[in-house]
Amino acid sequence: MPTALNPIEEEEEELISLVLNMVSSFWRGVVGLGLFALAHAAFSAAQHRSYMRLTEKENETLPIDIVLQTLLAFVLAIYGIVHISGEFKDMDASSELKNKTFDTLRNHPSFYMFSHRGRVLFCSPNREVSTIPNAQALPNPLQLRKLEHLH
Amino acid sequence: GHYCLDINVLIIVFTEMRDKLRKWREDNHRNSEQIVDVGEELINEHASKLGDDIWIIYEQVMIAALDCSRDDLAWTCLQELKKQFPGSQRVKRLAGMRLEALEKYEDASKQYDSILQDDPTNTAARKRKISILKAQGKSAEAIRELNEYLEQFVGDQEAWHELSELYINEHDYGKAAFCLEELMMTNPHNHLYCEQYAEVKYTQGGLENLELSRKYFAQALKLNNGNMRALFGLYMSASHIAASPKVNATVKKANVKYAAWATNQINRAYQVTKTNQLPVEELLLRSS
Repeated sequence: MPTALNPIEEEEEELISLVLNMVSSFWRGVVGLGLFALAHAAFSAAQHRSYMRLTEKENETLPIDIVLQTLLAFVLAIYGIVHISGEFKDMDASSELKNKTFDTLRNHPSFYMFSHRGRVLFCSPNREVSTIPNAQALPNPLQLRKLEHLH
Repeated sequence: GHYCLDINVLIIVFTEMRDKLRKWREDNHRNSEQIVDVGEELINEHASKLGDDIWIIYEQVMIAALDCSRDDLAWTCLQELKKQFPGSQRVKRLAGMRLEALEKYEDASKQYDSILQDDPTNTAARKRKISILKAQGKSAEAIRELNEYLEQFVGDQEAWHELSELYINEHDYGKAAFCLEELMMTNPHNHLYCEQYAEVKYTQGGLENLELSRKYFAQALKLNNGNMRALFGLYMSASHIAASPKVNATVKKANVKYAAWATNQINRAYQVTKTNQLPVEELLLRSS
């Protein structure tokens, strides 16, 4: 449950949210600009082609500024996307696993059991826990009372 | 000035916490105490910045809280998820897991049965029912149910690995090896499956199994030459083969050579880390 923050903390939180949003929006803006410039260059090229056809000068190559705009827009879009997407992965399938250990490989989240020592070890001292986990424990009034509010 | 620096630090701290939680989630770490620590702080103090990530974090923290006997925190997370996703199967499963943690296996089983009634193909609920059997110590039944599950869902690697573990606990090494073979087939680049298979074969014993285990220890090393356990395994299996009375002279000689090579590699690894003052345990636990 989010606890009530005092005014100073709230202000900090808002500023942090704002900065984080700005950073991701900036790179999204860069990608958007790059894609728009790319589309614009394509449109210009199409227009130039039809102009060439009309004036029957079909052997003239694309003007240098359209070519430059295409290349720059491409680079801009790629640079922006790299900043938006997550981290890169290694191509070699086995190298990714070099640091993997059985610590994590043996964990099967779908099959996690909770009948382990943690139930007792992490128990706070004023709580009582049944010491016979799998057998039918006699209803402990203290335990029942503590569990009541959780139903 | 000074205030700007604080904001930067706070941003870094927040993003680090969130990214750590994601890493633990994706890599299946079960460091529940840490997850509860970090997750609780994120939920209580940085909820607004998390956006939609908060729901998956609630799930992650809830499961970790069940591990740490933090039933209060688990209840809170569950309530938030129930509010946001009423009638969701995934949340129902979490409610069932909470009942399991409280050892109310009958109620949990009913919960999963109701999920399966609505959606008979729901794999998560079936796997939880198998976990209940495990928790109650009914390993034979659990194995039977898991086998049935795998007949239907042959591609579920987690389930294959779970089954191999159940067989190992029952000392049925032949069947455990079969499960690991399935995993090796679908993950040929994973050195850990090779290594575990080799260990199972080594445990089974007998000359044929020892030779097979040596080969798979070698394969694990080929995939990851930093796997210390595979190196020790190679040494042990080669030495045992060489010491066996049933082998001829050439095989014996070859295995002595393999064992010597392994010894050499192990010594070199110790030399390198001796200067780093790593304790022996850490060395043995690396890649294990």
